[in-house]
Amino acid sequence: MPVVTILPGDIEIEVASGETLAQAAWRQDYQWPTTCWGEMACMVCACVVRDGEAAAEPASALEEGCIAERMPRFRQLPGTRLACQLRVIGDGLVVEKEGVRPPVCSA
Amino acid sequence: MSDNLARKRKSAAAVPFAMSEAHRVPKERYYDRGFFELEKEKLWHKTWQMACRLQEIPRPNDFVEYEICEQSVFLVRQADHSVKGFFNVCPHRATQLARGAGSFPGGQVTCPFHGWRWNCDGESSFIYGEHGFAPECLKKEEINLRECKVEVWGDSVWINLDANAGQLKDSIGSAAARLDDVAIGNWRVKWWQETILNANWKMAQEAFMEGWHVMRTHPQLTLGAGEATPPDSLRYDTYPGGHCSFESTVLERDYVNFDVMLASSQLLADGLDAMAIDRDMKVLESIRHKLGPGDSIREAVAREMRAYNEGAGIPMPAGIENQALWWNGMVFLFPNIFYLPMYGNSLAYRIRPYNNHPEWCRFEVWSLTTWPRSYPQTRASLKGRFDKDDADNWPLIPIQDFSNIERQQRGLHVLGYQGHRLATEWEAGISNMHRELDRRLA
Ligand code: FES
Ligand code: FES
Ligand SMILES: [Fe+2]
Repeated sequence: MPVVTILPGDIEIEVASGETLAQAAWRQDYQWPTTCWGEMACMVCACVVRDGEAAAEPASALEEGCIAERMPRFRQLPGTRLACQLRVIGDGLVVEKEGVRPPVCSA
Repeated sequence: MSDNLARKRKSAAAVPFAMSEAHRVPKERYYDRGFFELEKEKLWHKTWQMACRLQEIPRPNDFVEYEICEQSVFLVRQADHSVKGFFNVCPHRATQLARGAGSFPGGQVTCPFHGWRWNCDGESSFIYGEHGFAPECLKKEEINLRECKVEVWGDSVWINLDANAGQLKDSIGSAAARLDDVAIGNWRVKWWQETILNANWKMAQEAFMEGWHVMRTHPQLTLGAGEATPPDSLRYDTYPGGHCSFESTVLERDYVNFDVMLASSQLLADGLDAMAIDRDMKVLESIRHKLGPGDSIREAVAREMRAYNEGAGIPMPAGIENQALWWNGMVFLFPNIFYLPMYGNSLAYRIRPYNNHPEWCRFEVWSLTTWPRSYPQTRASLKGRFDKDDADNWPLIPIQDFSNIERQQRGLHVLGYQGHRLATEWEAGISNMHRELDRRLA
């Protein structure tokens, strides 16, 4: 299973095939910011690709359209992707995203 | 007469356009708005109905919506692989929560209006703006999603909108047992598509409750016999609860002619891609050279099918070839589901009112088959909605069936038409369905 590194905390998340990065995070009880939970409505899940771009499936026209239309201009940095749509095909992808938290231990 | 009985009699008489004679169906039952409204209230809101196949929601958090008239529920696969069903409405301001089919990422059902959320088991997980509400407006038991009754049978999820409903088996048991005998639980989706018909849902489904329309509607299946085709070559049965069946009589008579048997199966494989499918045709063709003079064709088919299935890892329960239904037939489960089994495959139909209108229905068709055990389980989805006469997307046999149904619905309105008159035995299933409907509507 490909592993994605999330900056700034160097968090590593395994992503199963057919799954998106945010889905993988939620399935493994990480917190990944969102308010629409994968509906491509909130743009809150967006992250920026910093390295290993070849390990990510390119964005669909729909994802690009949503970003252009719904995300504030100043946040549309080069490499911006919606984590709820981002599928991974290999190792080495590094993205930056504030607010990602590892699972809370319930002990 | 006891008071109770008198009351019962009175309410039965109150069903409009009731079945007062077993072999006559009043025409208003197919278009009257009041009758349709009564069906909603007394039938659809209270009956067990097949809401989805398990294959539509294979993984945790997968969901599918099921609609019946204005009602909508959604079925969600739980983390433990069980299935729950929920009334499809946000308790805040009525927004529908799920549409079509999909998956709830992160296991969160999210309302698209103000963002309230629930876990996939229906428990409220987040109320945005909670402090803006009076606590009595947010009582936990009112904010959690409301469940409907759910049972699983025949690799499908059945629901009942009535919280006081009895068990599924009490509703379909007598006829469902016939399908258990042909291993319905092993069937998976080969293809699935639908059409919209300008006809009452009952009118549409009655076209499949008898087999004797084959002579004129599907002339190719008579292999040239024309009007000499016997209308009574099937065995017909009815069951308490409105169900019915017909089945092949081959166990009593065997096939007389190998080529005729092969040609009729080939017509199903070509004209339907269901019931008999390509892999069955290969097995059947291989028999020709193995048949000695005086050999039973039926026994040869059973033997070769078993040998093939065992080799291919396709489950085939012991003795299944002694079930007439395994050879060919139909089981209708009241109110609106059909299975037409043959050789470990089956055609299936589900018919529902469409657009909340008595003269429109939505007609779904599945080709089901038993795959080898090793075959991967993929998510089943509707291939599409195609016009009833779209020959690129519908096989010949359903096109032929659909072509009569809208003409019947037109005919109902023609001055002087008195209502259907039914054949005593071959159309007893239609009468049985209507009389059960009257019991429900009373
Ligand atoms: S989760 Fe809302 S857009 Fe990705
Ligand atoms: S209508 Fe659903 S949260 Fe307001
Ligand atoms: Fe037919």
